[in-house]
Amino acid sequence: MAESIPDTETYLFDPHVPFLKKFEDVYDFHYKKNTVYRSFLKALGYSRKHSFSPETIPLIPVRVFKHGPILPDGFTAELTFSSSGTTSMKRSRHGIAKPEIYEKAISTEFYSHFPKNDVIILALLPKYEENPESSLIWMARHLINNDSSGLSGFIQNDIVIDKQWIEQIVLSGKKLVLFGAAFGLIDFMDRPNPFESVSLEVIETGGMKTHKREMSKEELRNRMSDYFKIPLSSIHSEYGMCELHSQMYAIGSEWFTTPNWVKVSIRNADNPEQESEPGEEGKIGIIDMANLYSCPFLLTNDRGVMNKHGQFRVLGRWDKENMRGCNFLIDTEV
Amino acid sequence: MEAPQSHINAVYNCISQWLSPDNPDLKRAIERTVDENLFGFEDIKHQILALKQALTPDNINRWVKKSGFIPNLLRRKTVLCLHAGNLPLVGLQDLLAVMISGADYAGKLSSKDPYLLQSLIKIFEENRDLQRTAYDTELHSFFNTMIDGWLFSGSHKNAAIVENILTDNGVISYDSPSLIRTSYFSVAYIDTFDKETVMDLTEAVFRYGGAGCRSVAVVVSPFSLNEIKCEFTDYIENFWLKNPQHQLPTKEITHRFALNKALGVNQAWLNDFLIEEGDEVPPNKFRLTWMKGDFSTFSAIINNNLDGLQSAYSTAEHIGKQAGNIIIEPLSTAQNPPVWWKPDGIDTLNWLQKNLL
Repeated sequence: MAESIPDTETYLFDPHVPFLKKFEDVYDFHYKKNTVYRSFLKALGYSRKHSFSPETIPLIPVRVFKHGPILPDGFTAELTFSSSGTTSMKRSRHGIAKPEIYEKAISTEFYSHFPKNDVIILALLPKYEENPESSLIWMARHLINNDSSGLSGFIQNDIVIDKQWIEQIVLSGKKLVLFGAAFGLIDFMDRPNPFESVSLEVIETGGMKTHKREMSKEELRNRMSDYFKIPLSSIHSEYGMCELHSQMYAIGSEWFTTPNWVKVSIRNADNPEQESEPGEEGKIGIIDMANLYSCPFLLTNDRGVMNKHGQFRVLGRWDKENMRGCNFLIDTEV
Repeated sequence: MEAPQSHINAVYNCISQWLSPDNPDLKRAIERTVDENLFGFEDIKHQILALKQALTPDNINRWVKKSGFIPNLLRRKTVLCLHAGNLPLVGLQDLLAVMISGADYAGKLSSKDPYLLQSLIKIFEENRDLQRTAYDTELHSFFNTMIDGWLFSGSHKNAAIVENILTDNGVISYDSPSLIRTSYFSVAYIDTFDKETVMDLTEAVFRYGGAGCRSVAVVVSPFSLNEIKCEFTDYIENFWLKNPQHQLPTKEITHRFALNKALGVNQAWLNDFLIEEGDEVPPNKFRLTWMKGDFSTFSAIINNNLDGLQSAYSTAEHIGKQAGNIIIEPLSTAQNPPVWWKPDGIDTLNWLQKNLL
């Protein structure tokens, strides 16, 4: 693979091209064109001669984006996304050289689970709206704008749901997909359920910490099932971040699957070049081919676990509190 | 009931017996700890020497006086101490507080440090007929024994887990008094770089591989890391020659170094320790953040990191000053605290009296 990957959109998302082939091409491209990633590998003592597998390739810690966008030589960002956070926090900034790749990644995976012509999307993303560079808002807007019925849109927690709009959804025969931040959905459930008459699917995303209290994903799913009067199989999760072009979905459960151009591995936190066994907790590592023009080889700071079927669960942030100080070593001591 | 002063004297006699050079039990405990690779000999030696210096009759009386505690008041009470195992003898102050209080001691020893503290508890057991002691490395040994209060050091998350286990197993009720200490790092302000200061700083940062909550994890200094790197490294190498680092960092820290290098972050990579310029409190061991700044930067760091901050240190000119909400302690005491030092700002003796009486 040389200076760029021709016909990128077709190539990256083509399920007929083996992942390993894409991996080798994209790795080669980045070794040549991504100065930061190449320096990272060299500092670890690796040269181009080293061959890696997707399970062991060194993944650059996602905090790399806190130092600014990472772009291969010769590329500039047309769009920049930043992570949400408090003003005192250093935010991640992800430069998007080709927004069409981002759009393709969003649409391909989302519509594979929720077919475009069958759904109306309602986005409930309070707080994210305060960040003009939110990738989540951009993604939701892209999906909403793609709906030719004009019934999709954003919603605020304090807005009364229009009954006529509900009737139009029912008449359309489509499903309503409520795409909401976990903390927004918790607040939403303080009011009477306005969606009793529609066929509803819920996708929750984001952290579980709210201004009220921390809630487990299982508890949230059960609460939503009771409140919306829908089975757990209609409650889904989305896992994405501003540093990634691609998103992953857990359909009707807490176990995420990946698009064909993404590979997730759970890495040993002590040795990130080692993959954890299924059932063993570690840091979530992601190879996202759609990050071709930023950095596709990323180690998140999220705690995760893989099952034997190659699905993974997100267990929260990697808890670093235990590592320094009077550590009680709870895992081994009790 | 024994008079307060004679109770303190009796406690001191046990300590004295334990620290005497011809105590074979302590010697054996040290040997086993080293043989089983739990801690390095140099770190244990440092700790024992520091305790010999700190645990004098005068200092123990001073601690009791400072805390306003009347010794031997807590007869027939039982205090459970859950000892951490990150440093040798890290739970010793809690054990002494309970013994001075007159309460019965129940100690969940760390499997990382099962012998050293035990050698002292055994002496208390032999000498203090009226005060009962029980200890084990397994928490379930204490199940179904109701206690009156408990002392814990660790993270918020682990404290909650332990509380649930103890409640579910009839050891405590949800309103049982608990002293939970969660601080995990300390900071230092260094505006001189003379020999004594650098030696003290080296000890404060590198002793125990930086694992203690009193260990310095962040230095604020008007000097940049590049300005002092070479000189500081010489002292560190000298320290390591005499005190080889017992635990070594995992590969994760190599990845951190590699990313810093790729991003052009100023750093000093010492193979077993990483010093880097930045503004982040390093959550894990084997890392020091060097921050260029003045005293106001130092105060700001303290104010922004109160949750988790144990102590703030500096040199002569600044000792006793207030930085943020914290009074600055001498840098030289980071790894040699006085017996009356207050983990998380709370005097354990005073807490026992207030909450268990």
